[in-house]
Amino acid sequence: MMIRVDGLRKTYRMGNVEVRALDGVTLDVAGGEFVGITGPSGSGKSTLLHLIGLLDEPTAGSISVQGVDVLRLTDDERTHFRLTRIGYIFQDYALVPDLTALENVFLPTLARGMAEYDGLERAAALLRRVGLEERTDHLPAELSGGEQQRIAIARALVNEPALLLADEPCANLDTHASEMVLDLFARINREFGQTVLMVSHEESHQRYFTRTVRLQDGVVVDDSGRASGDGDDDQARGRGDASIYPVPFHHDHGDP
Amino acid sequence: MLERERVSVYLAWRSLARGSRTSLLLNVAIIGLVFTNMILLPSIISGSVDLFNQQTIDYQTSDILVRPAEGEQYIERVGTLLETIDRVPGVRRASARHAIGATLLARNRSVSVPVTALNPRDEVEVTTIHERMKDGEFFAGGERGEILVGQFVSGSEDAREDLFTSLGGVRVGERIEVAFANGVIRDYVVKGIYETRSYLVDYSALITWEELESVMDGQVDEATEVLVRTDRAHELGVVKRGLLEAGVQEEVKTWREAITSAVEESIETFGIINSISMLVSLVIAVVVIFIVITIKAMNQRRQIAILKAIGIHRGVIIRSYLLQVLAICTLGTLVGLVAVGGIEAWFTAHPLIFPDGELVPRFDPAALVENAAWLFVVSLIAGYIPAWRITRETVLSGMRAA
Ligand SMILES: Nc1ncnc2c1ncn2[C@@H]1O[C@H](COP(=O)(O)OP(=O)(O)OP(=O)(O)O)[C@@H](O)[C@H]1O
Ligand SMILES: [Mg+2]
Repeated sequence: MMIRVDGLRKTYRMGNVEVRALDGVTLDVAGGEFVGITGPSGSGKSTLLHLIGLLDEPTAGSISVQGVDVLRLTDDERTHFRLTRIGYIFQDYALVPDLTALENVFLPTLARGMAEYDGLERAAALLRRVGLEERTDHLPAELSGGEQQRIAIARALVNEPALLLADEPCANLDTHASEMVLDLFARINREFGQTVLMVSHEESHQRYFTRTVRLQDGVVVDDSGRASGDGDDDQARGRGDASIYPVPFHHDHGDP
Repeated sequence: MLERERVSVYLAWRSLARGSRTSLLLNVAIIGLVFTNMILLPSIISGSVDLFNQQTIDYQTSDILVRPAEGEQYIERVGTLLETIDRVPGVRRASARHAIGATLLARNRSVSVPVTALNPRDEVEVTTIHERMKDGEFFAGGERGEILVGQFVSGSEDAREDLFTSLGGVRVGERIEVAFANGVIRDYVVKGIYETRSYLVDYSALITWEELESVMDGQVDEATEVLVRTDRAHELGVVKRGLLEAGVQEEVKTWREAITSAVEESIETFGIINSISMLVSLVIAVVVIFIVITIKAMNQRRQIAILKAIGIHRGVIIRSYLLQVLAICTLGTLVGLVAVGGIEAWFTAHPLIFPDGELVPRFDPAALVENAAWLFVVSLIAGYIPAWRITRETVLSGMRAA
C-alpha cells in the first residue's frame, strides 16, 4: 500500500474557535493509482495533502507512506523522506526566488547526490516537457503564474518520486497547458508507476483519474472509481519515456 | 555526507551571486575595517616597543650589560675585566663607563645630571651615540677640558620649550662649569651636543676617562657599568654564559633582562589596551555579522521553508549561511590585509614622529593570523545563532511568510 491514512484529524485553534480542517479522514491509496481529490474551498484538501506530504502534523490519527509510519520519523528523517520519495506541487508554487527556473528544478537532484551534469540534463528535459525550454534562465519573479506553476511541476517530478502530491497544479494554466500537464502525470503514472494524488475542482480533469475522492467539511463524502490495482505497488515501474527522464536514477528507497 | 556540503556550497554561492552587490561589498568593507583596526593598534604598540628596545640597545645597554655585583658600588679592576671580556667568543667589544653625579652651570642656570666618563674608542664600538651628534663632534679620544651634553641638558633659551630644566640653550664652544659630587669644580668647553631622543640619555653629559682621572686626581680602575657588544651570529644567552664561565663575577644581564621592571609594566599596560581594542573590534564584528545574517535569513524565511519542504536538511541551510559568513570574512580579511600592507608601506616611508623617536608600526605575522582566526571564529558563531533560530521554524508557517 502506498498511503494508509486512518482517522486523521487536524484542528486549528483560533482563540476560542476551533476549526476542524480534517475531521476523521480514513483513506488507502495503492501504488500506481492516480487519485483526484475534489471538494469545495475550505473542505480540507490542502490540509490533507500537507499531512501526507509530511509538512505538518495531525492532531490525531495515523499516516503511513510505503509502509513507513511517518509520524514517528525525526525531523531530519522526514526531510530525507520528502527528498527521496515525495514530489510536492504547492498551490502557490513555492519556488526558490534566488534560483532560476533550471536551478530550481536542478536543486533536488543535487541534494539527492546526482552528478551535476546528469541533474542538469534531467532538469532541462523536464522543463522542455512542460514547455519552458525558452525560460530556463529566468528567475521566478520574471515569470508568469502559469510558468512558475510548470516549474514547480518539473521540480516535483525531477527526483522521480514514488508519490506525487499536487495541490491544484493546473489552477493557473490554460486548457492546452493543463492538458499537457495532466498527460504528463498520466504518463509518469503509467510508465514509471508513480502514484499521483492531485487536488482539482475541474470536471474536465476527472477522466484522467483512476479514482476520485471527494472531501467536504473535513471528511470523505465520496470515494468512487476505486482502482483494483492493489498489490502491484511501485514494482510496476518500467523504463518509460526517455524524454521525461533521460538519465536513469539510482533509486534508494531504503529507510532514511 | 559530501552531497550535503555540495548543496550548502551551491546555495551559498547562488545567494551571494544573486543577492545585493552593494550590501555584500559593504559587509566586506566593514569586516575589512574591523580587521585593520584589530591589527593597527597592536602594530603601533609593537613598533613603539621595538623603538624603545632599539634605543636601549643603541644608547644605554648595548647587547649585554655588566654591573657591580650585589651590594657593591663599583666594578673593581675594570682594566683586567675588559681584557677578560674581550676574549670571550662572540664578544666584539666591551666599553667601561663610570658615572658620577654633577651639577652643570651655564648662562646662570644649573642642572644636576649624571656625568659619564668613557673611553671613546671603546664606546663607539658598543653604542651609536656618536652617530647622533646634533651639533659639534663626538670625542676622538683623550680629550681634556671638553664635555659632550645631551640635547635636554643644553635645552633652549626659552625655558617654556624645555621638558626639563636646561642650561638655556648652551651651544658648542661655550663654557660650562661642572661641580662634581666629590667637590671638584672644573670649567669645560662644550665639544658637542647629542640627540638620541631617549629621555634618559639625552639628559646626561659625557667626558673622557682621562678627564675623569684628572678630576679624581689619580688612576681610575673602577667602573659603574660595562657595555658589551656581541657578534650578530652569537646568541646573547650563549655569550652571557661565556662571560660567566670566563670568571666574570659581576652581575651580567642581556639588554632585555636589564630593562627595568617599570618598563615591563608599561609594556603590560600596552598589552591590556591592546586586548581591549581587540575585544571592541570583535564585538563590532559580532554585531555586524549577527545583523547581516539575521536580516538575510529573515528575508529568506519563505525560501528556507521551501528548501525544507523539498527535502533540504536544516543543517545544510544553516551551513549555507555559515559559508556566506566565511566568504564575507575571507574577502574582508583580504581587504584588511591590503589595507594593512598599504599602511605599512606608508609608515615605512613616513614614520610616525614621536618625541622619543621615529616609530614604524610593526605588523607581526603571528598577530595577523591570530586576529584573523578570532575574527572567523566569532563571526561564525555570530552567524550561526540567527541561522539556527530562523531555520527552526516549521515548513508551513515559514511558507506563509511573505
Ligand atoms: N493555519 C491555519 N489556521 C487556521 N485555520 C486554517 C489554517 N490552515 C487552514 N485552515 C482552515 O482549515 C480549513 C481547511 O483548509 P484547506 O486549506 O485545507 O482547504 P482547501 O480544501 O485546500 O481549500 P481551497 O480549495 O480553497 O484551497 C479551512 O477552513 C481553513 O480556513
Ligand atoms: Mg487548498
